[in-house]
Amino acid sequence: MSGVDWVVLGGGLIGLLFGGIGQRSGFCFLRGLNGLWLQQDARKLKMFFMAMATALLATQLLVWVSGLDLGRAHYLQRNPAWLAIVLGGAMFGYGMVLSNACGARSLVLLGQGNLRSLTVLLCLGVAAYMASSGVLAPVRLWLEGLVRPSLAAPDLTGLVATTGMSVGLSRLLVTLPLAALLFYFALRKGRVQADPSALLAGALIGLLVTTGWWLTGIVGDDVFDPVRLATLTFIAPIGESIQYLMIATGMSVSFGVSVVAGVIVGSLIMALITGQFTWQGYQSIGQLQRGILGGLMMGVGGVMALGCSIGQGLSGFSTLSISSLVAIAAILLGAWLGLKSPVRVASAGS
Amino acid sequence: MISINNWRTPGTTLALGPLLSLALMVFALPAQASWQGFDAVASILADAEQVHEQGLALEMPLVSEDGSAVPINVKLDHPMTEDRYITRIHIFAQGNPNAEVVDFYLSPALGRAEVSSRIRVNESQRIWAVATNNQGEAWVTHHDIRVTVGGCLMTAEDNSTIALSQPRVALPRSFTAGQPAEIRTLVTHPMETGMREGPDGNLLPRRLVERFVVTLGDETALEVHLHTAVSANPYLRFFLAPQSSVQAQFVWHEDTGFEVEEQVSLSL
Repeated sequence: MSGVDWVVLGGGLIGLLFGGIGQRSGFCFLRGLNGLWLQQDARKLKMFFMAMATALLATQLLVWVSGLDLGRAHYLQRNPAWLAIVLGGAMFGYGMVLSNACGARSLVLLGQGNLRSLTVLLCLGVAAYMASSGVLAPVRLWLEGLVRPSLAAPDLTGLVATTGMSVGLSRLLVTLPLAALLFYFALRKGRVQADPSALLAGALIGLLVTTGWWLTGIVGDDVFDPVRLATLTFIAPIGESIQYLMIATGMSVSFGVSVVAGVIVGSLIMALITGQFTWQGYQSIGQLQRGILGGLMMGVGGVMALGCSIGQGLSGFSTLSISSLVAIAAILLGAWLGLKSPVRVASAGS
Repeated sequence: MISINNWRTPGTTLALGPLLSLALMVFALPAQASWQGFDAVASILADAEQVHEQGLALEMPLVSEDGSAVPINVKLDHPMTEDRYITRIHIFAQGNPNAEVVDFYLSPALGRAEVSSRIRVNESQRIWAVATNNQGEAWVTHHDIRVTVGGCLMTAEDNSTIALSQPRVALPRSFTAGQPAEIRTLVTHPMETGMREGPDGNLLPRRLVERFVVTLGDETALEVHLHTAVSANPYLRFFLAPQSSVQAQFVWHEDTGFEVEEQVSLSL
């Protein structure tokens, strides 16, 4: 088997684990924010903090030990398209509230029999390709060309290193406090405490992010047959999966597509084991409309922001990319608009 | 895709133009697949005694993002013996500024008529492959590819300063006498077309690896001519079927006269 085959197979395994863990634990960025802002319950968000901290620590450790150059990943850009990232992130965040789940969570929900997610996913995937290479691509390219001031370095590590210290030291100085802060938020004893199994689920998902970097960056590192450096991200891959279903004779399976397939299957298996598989559909036209609109907004927004809550929130964040931090802030803004602001979505539904 | 404007003759009135082109699109589609309309292919096939439109396989994706390195594989089920073997395989891109992409000059020493590379496809268009054998027969086939804008913002090829260097040859673990075994080669080179602007807005001078030669002992086994449409860091895959243990030499020639080589002994 060649490196590419291992990457595709490994992607499927990472997807299976993500789907299984996600189904069991209810891992979801939106539910975390919903809990914190509307129910004063930060337990679900703590799981996400745990994933962020683990992904950051493990990924930077991988870079330090193996010398992997994450600069080839698309999160690290010297001239990020700021306007597209902010606008896209906010669109993604708002769309996530509208359809009541992000792309990754929708895949997990589909695996446990939720047909509402199927509608969201189809809209999301088609919209992602509309923005990436389809009818909306000219608008996206125009937007991306508007505001592009360049950065001294694409990541926090590089930025701190411009003061003259070594990259290794600056990595240590940035990673450790940031990871410690996130671990503190995740583990802090408060009025309500996150249960240990949820924290473990968060940590495992964080490790899956690093496993993806290792797989595409080190296992797939073959000069004759290069693999795009990537890890868990869902918007473009959901679109690519739909495209693959349609033109499989003319394209080959990528890491992203095998992750998407793995997540659905992993969630299905876990739901069947735990007896949580139930068919679910829309109960009202309004719910259907929100699902469709939310899917479209997440697809277009996710492509513009170069990632979703997982892609930017965990994978991009683990590279310490500056544009990822901006994208995360924009996604938070969009989610806040949808959950708390005067333009919030009328009813959060189920 | 062929633009409708190409079909409109100067005499056609405006009103008739779209109707005529619509009629042409509907009725002329099967005929459009013919190679006679494409000079680069037609000139090669003009010498052939017999042209087969079946048998030659051209494998590449249907859709490519950005088109800077599209994998392509050409193969034909045909003997590779001294009496009867495939002599040449040509690849053309009908819609590229320079239609010639890459030419392979084969010999029986390859053992199998199958070659691969990665090529530049600058717009949605038709890619052609032509093969000829030493008995005057020729094979032709084509593949339509759609090229879209990339979803990714990466600067595609940022290697303007890297010269011809780092030749790499991947060999199979072992060879069996007369059995074709896969060889993959790669060399670091920008394959500068002379049509691309540098950071200062001026055209970067043309600089290509123009020839790649494989010799087994003192016999040329394969010669490849590369044109502007071969991707940066040219990748070439082919087969070798050595009859006995032999010294193999792989040489990349740049158009500046500079060359790099790699020597490997193939032991059975």
